[in-house]
Amino acid sequence: MQELEPPERKTQQNCEAACLPGKASVSPASSLGGNHGTPGMPRRDFLKRAGLTLAGVTAASSLLPVRRAWAAGGNPVEITFASAKFYGKQTIAEVVEAYNGAQSKVHVTYKELPPPSSSTEVHQGLVQQLARRNGTPDVFTQDIIWVAEFAAAKWALPLDEYFGREVMKDYFPGIVQGCTWQGKLTALPWFVDSGMLYYRKDLLEGLGAKAPETWDELIDSSKKLMSAGKAKFGFLWQGKQAEVLVCDLVSFIGSNGGSILQPDGTTVTIADEPAIEAVQMMHDFIRKHQITPEDVLSWDEEPSRRPFTSGEAAFLRNWSYVWKVAQTPADSSVVDKVGVSPLPHFPSKQSAACLGGYQYGINASTRNREAAVDFVRWMSSPETQLRFATQLGLCPTRAAVFEQPQIAQEQPFMQPLKSVFIGAIPRPVTPKYPQVTLILQSEVSRALATGNVKAALQSAKEKIQNVVKA
Amino acid sequence: MAITEVQGRPLLLGTKKARVRTWEPGPLLLLAPALASIGAVSVYPVLLGLWLSLRDTTLASPTDSFIGFGNYRQLLADGQFWNAWTHTIEFTAASTLLETALGLMMALVLSESFRGRGIVRAAMLVPWAIPTVVTSKMFGWLFDGQNGVVNYLLRGMGLIQHNVDWYGSTSSALWTIVVADVWKTTPFMALLLLAGLQTIPHSLTEASIIDGANPWQQFWHVRLPLLAPTLLIAAMFRALDAFRIFDLVYVLTGGGPADSTEVLSTMTYKNLFSALQFGYGSALSTMMFITEAGIAVIFGAILLRKLREVGQ
Repeated sequence: MQELEPPERKTQQNCEAACLPGKASVSPASSLGGNHGTPGMPRRDFLKRAGLTLAGVTAASSLLPVRRAWAAGGNPVEITFASAKFYGKQTIAEVVEAYNGAQSKVHVTYKELPPPSSSTEVHQGLVQQLARRNGTPDVFTQDIIWVAEFAAAKWALPLDEYFGREVMKDYFPGIVQGCTWQGKLTALPWFVDSGMLYYRKDLLEGLGAKAPETWDELIDSSKKLMSAGKAKFGFLWQGKQAEVLVCDLVSFIGSNGGSILQPDGTTVTIADEPAIEAVQMMHDFIRKHQITPEDVLSWDEEPSRRPFTSGEAAFLRNWSYVWKVAQTPADSSVVDKVGVSPLPHFPSKQSAACLGGYQYGINASTRNREAAVDFVRWMSSPETQLRFATQLGLCPTRAAVFEQPQIAQEQPFMQPLKSVFIGAIPRPVTPKYPQVTLILQSEVSRALATGNVKAALQSAKEKIQNVVKA
Repeated sequence: MAITEVQGRPLLLGTKKARVRTWEPGPLLLLAPALASIGAVSVYPVLLGLWLSLRDTTLASPTDSFIGFGNYRQLLADGQFWNAWTHTIEFTAASTLLETALGLMMALVLSESFRGRGIVRAAMLVPWAIPTVVTSKMFGWLFDGQNGVVNYLLRGMGLIQHNVDWYGSTSSALWTIVVADVWKTTPFMALLLLAGLQTIPHSLTEASIIDGANPWQQFWHVRLPLLAPTLLIAAMFRALDAFRIFDLVYVLTGGGPADSTEVLSTMTYKNLFSALQFGYGSALSTMMFITEAGIAVIFGAILLRKLREVGQ
């Protein structure tokens, strides 16, 4: 749930200045709201101006429907769209306005939720509205880990009849899997993020090694670089008792062919051999091989990112936002020295990355189903995904969009990540995910702190079984 | 006229006239807005919380049924609850004791007159005035396992050989949080105790000096006994407040590693607001309430006893 925190923080910092003018021009209503705070303006002037603006807005808005009605031969269908707040050079509101301007059948009102760094509040806000089953918001966006929860509660409309297999094959398979609950597609992909391996190209070249494909190669290179004094740390990741620990866990276990929960949603496999081996390896990174400092047990994304971009570490597991930071000279001493690749895997197994990102959903109680479908189809179209990629820095979920020349121009970091997204796998898909993740965080943190891996995972298995069977 | 009436009132209480009750809606009407708002924002939520704690309900699932004390049975058998409960009690005891002792020392110093006392008194309050989230971030940096100042100083003094991973180790994480809390809240205790010290009449301390008491005896036999009620009230406030510790833990460790800093507030938050388990979460907060009430009763009993002693 917290995996998106750093990117948001970063974007916010970088874009604050750039975004403000854009923000003010989003809609007449919001610029009117912004005027309230105008400092130093005499009250009378302010009221006069506010009055004029208000009059202008009223006039404009009373004219607009007329024009639309004339164009479409009827009033546009009004629907609402609620989403967590993302922004870069543009805001979501501007994208929504583009949709409103592009056609005249549907008019979408955008309701902004808190940014994804406050993911608990976004979740709460959505659940409270959806639980009322009154049809608002008609369309919403959800973190991929909530898809099963919303589908099982029958809040999200199944979309199979609108988006068939033919359409869905254009998206990354992992993300489609994450948007599917019990065989039904209940979410439409928006953007993707996933865990990946950052490595120091210059250091590996010095060793004559390439990006590690297996964990043994990573351990080997780390040890060599550390003993040669080239790097203070070998491999950094996130071991804080938080959501990010589960993200790391999923990719480590997945890279050994294991899993936490079977797709049936009730068979718990966290205490099986592949999972035990993977968690043991996480512990070994710290104690046995000593390529990871003990500090990772209290580190989430940012604390683990800092030593890497200041040149102290050879390898880092983190999200896509690090690429941008690493290439910014003000924040990084390793500009142009960083490479990115899928995370390594166990011998003769497949690499696995933990899937993140927000996806569209349609409220099952909506009274404007066709309009909502039309809107999400437009939002998830290649053109809009390209716009989100270039203007908001959100990675497309359609493989083909990565090939667009604008992407290479505006967001050069994205293309190298494509191969990572193809292999990304979702976290356990269950409507009880919020409870399951708390158990995993607590028990895996215990396994790493005490080294008693088997016992901790066995205890996690029993607790998760109680939750998913209830 | 007015004076006699006022003076006469206590006498009237015992007479027949006072017992006659006339229905006067005026006062009740005036009280109604206050009663209604207290009822709406305080009584109703508390009762609803109690009611929820007897139900099996989560916001994100259709199940919602009355299960009596089922949540409490599950809670009492939950190792994580007792783990968090123990940490909360440990944290409360340690921080209250340290803060009271250090706060008393500070108060004693600040009650003496010296040059620049006003500035020192004001400066002392700065840690308390800083938002806790900022304090948390600050201590996060101070105790950072790699580049923290604390490690640097301890290493420089030769007290440790290698950097200590304060927040990443199960044995030190909770105590590091206690240190942060002591830094932040000791000034508050000092302020309360300073106010208490100033109510002790100078004549008493002067009399003890004339009787030949040294400062040590003066403290133990004159000032401390007279300060005891204030001390207890301040400690009670502190203990009840410390019991609700949330922000430091939430920002610094999130309850980890291995639940070693999980306290009741963070556990309740996770159950109520992350997992949206309203029934179980409400049972948790009810247990917190019960424990807090227990702490208040213990302090209250000691305080009453002290007050009687002082009164005699």
